[in-house]
Amino acid sequence: MTLPAVDTSEQSAHEHKSSAPTFRSKSAAGLAVGLALVVLFAVVRVLAPPASATFGLPDAARDFATLSISVVVESLPFVFLGIVLSIAVQVWLPEGMLLRRLPRSPVLRRLVLSLLGMLLPVCECGNVPLARGLVVKGLTVAESMTFLFAAPILNPVTIVTTAQAFGWDNGVLVSRVFGGFFIANLVGWIYSRHPRPQDLLTTRFQETCSLADHHGPASRVKRSVRMFSQETRAMMPALFIGAGMAGLIQVAVSREVLVTLGGNPVWSVLALMLLAFVVAICSNVDAFFILSFGATFMPGGIVSFLVFGPMIDVKMLALMRTTFTAKTLLQLSLLVALCAAVLGLAVNYGH
Amino acid sequence: MAHWQGVVLGLIGLIATIWLGLTGQLALYIHPRYFVFTIIMAVIAAVLALAAFTLDPATPDEHDNDHDHAEEGRSRWGWLWSVGSVLTVIAAVVALLILPPSTLTTATVAQRDLNGSASALTLKAPALPSKGDYSAFTVRDWASLLRSGAGQDFFADKTATVTGFITPDKTDPNVFFVARFVVTCCAVDAQPIGIPVYHPGWQNEYTTDSWVTISSGFRANPNPASREAIVLIPDSIIPTTQPAQPYVY
Repeated sequence: MTLPAVDTSEQSAHEHKSSAPTFRSKSAAGLAVGLALVVLFAVVRVLAPPASATFGLPDAARDFATLSISVVVESLPFVFLGIVLSIAVQVWLPEGMLLRRLPRSPVLRRLVLSLLGMLLPVCECGNVPLARGLVVKGLTVAESMTFLFAAPILNPVTIVTTAQAFGWDNGVLVSRVFGGFFIANLVGWIYSRHPRPQDLLTTRFQETCSLADHHGPASRVKRSVRMFSQETRAMMPALFIGAGMAGLIQVAVSREVLVTLGGNPVWSVLALMLLAFVVAICSNVDAFFILSFGATFMPGGIVSFLVFGPMIDVKMLALMRTTFTAKTLLQLSLLVALCAAVLGLAVNYGH
Repeated sequence: MAHWQGVVLGLIGLIATIWLGLTGQLALYIHPRYFVFTIIMAVIAAVLALAAFTLDPATPDEHDNDHDHAEEGRSRWGWLWSVGSVLTVIAAVVALLILPPSTLTTATVAQRDLNGSASALTLKAPALPSKGDYSAFTVRDWASLLRSGAGQDFFADKTATVTGFITPDKTDPNVFFVARFVVTCCAVDAQPIGIPVYHPGWQNEYTTDSWVTISSGFRANPNPASREAIVLIPDSIIPTTQPAQPYVY
């Protein structure tokens, strides 16, 4: 019983002794590099030509840049908030505090997890790092999917904005909340039956999970910082590429085509799901956005937009690709799309 | 490079955000209610990024470890991966640090339905002033009134003073719109709204997307075939510069 304990403390002490001086000089060098980059970027930004010079870019190219930049500027603080919450859950919360309190029964566990979004009003881009943190902490893959898909919809801010945009009466809010809740739990149930859930994860993320166990001796601060750079490394390229794609598609795809499809009960559902995939708007405000199409589209289409968009869109796929394999994401997209389409059609034909 | 790509990209975004905040240009991209949250998170994240440089230096063996397993499968394409990382960083530097910040243009008006947005026009239905003082009415207020179907009698004695950018009418060459974008969250959800202005030959005097201030009464459109029944017919159009808050909320 005592032997392993002595062993690890000795090992860590030894490690500490031998690497302390090199670590200190490396830290100083690292800080210098970091500060140099900050200064360099700030100088470039300040010295860049002022707004009067438009670089002779055509309007569409400028709007592509503006739209992509706005996605980055809007999502960046939320992604970092998600990373900070994820670090808090993994490093600073007492071991197992969150997960041990969940009910034992898998179905009940997923039900509770899908309500977790109520407590953590992070929009969907911030949920990805948080879900990763929860998986490292011992959440199953299927449970993380339930959390990921339910949280952006069962989120106080989302519910309030949807209620403001559509009111309580016409069924849009109710269909969205219950539909999202149901689909998230259905997806969780289906994937809980997967024989080898590890195969759903990218090899890189699997390594992150297994590495997490070996960081024992490092201090909490050091572990937090290491986790910060690890998550940033995974999330930032995905966010930037996702934002670029969202901007590009918005400039390239004609909305008139989408709008002409809006009056048909079947096509309105499919067209608005495509729109949700393309525009990649945060679930907190997508209700206001789609309200602008309220006159042209049937209510079922709007419900599928509001249910499908927070779960799957170009930006989310890029972010989730850091964690799930491409095959898993394809399956998930098809499954969620099918459910959202059925829900939308039911609303259209049930009215 | 691959080890630091994420933190470097993050720093680029954070410094661009903080600079936009300091120079008062964040409004070009996001709604003012996010300003405080965005700036606070940006500063916290920048401090954490510096801490990452300091406390998590990529030691050689750790660095190898990164590539050993994860990139084994793509070793043949490894160079492509590095090129991709470098290109992403370059694209981010160009977009966020070099390009001058700008508003959306007429290209996006064409892509989205002008005045097609029910939410942009009805959520904030303007309260009618009792003393007939309409000087504070914005493009949005007037556009909402026009859409609400108020008749010609209502507009007969009213003068609008509005500022917006010029965007052409799709069908009538004699008409342009003084337009603004309504933003609910960020520029991605911007919805264009505008008031029709009847001014034949405007194309020769003004360029699309340039900002103007117009003070004028409403009249019936001289062209009965036009989609816009009530228009502004100004005596003078004053060119102006883009306001500090180009979007309306």
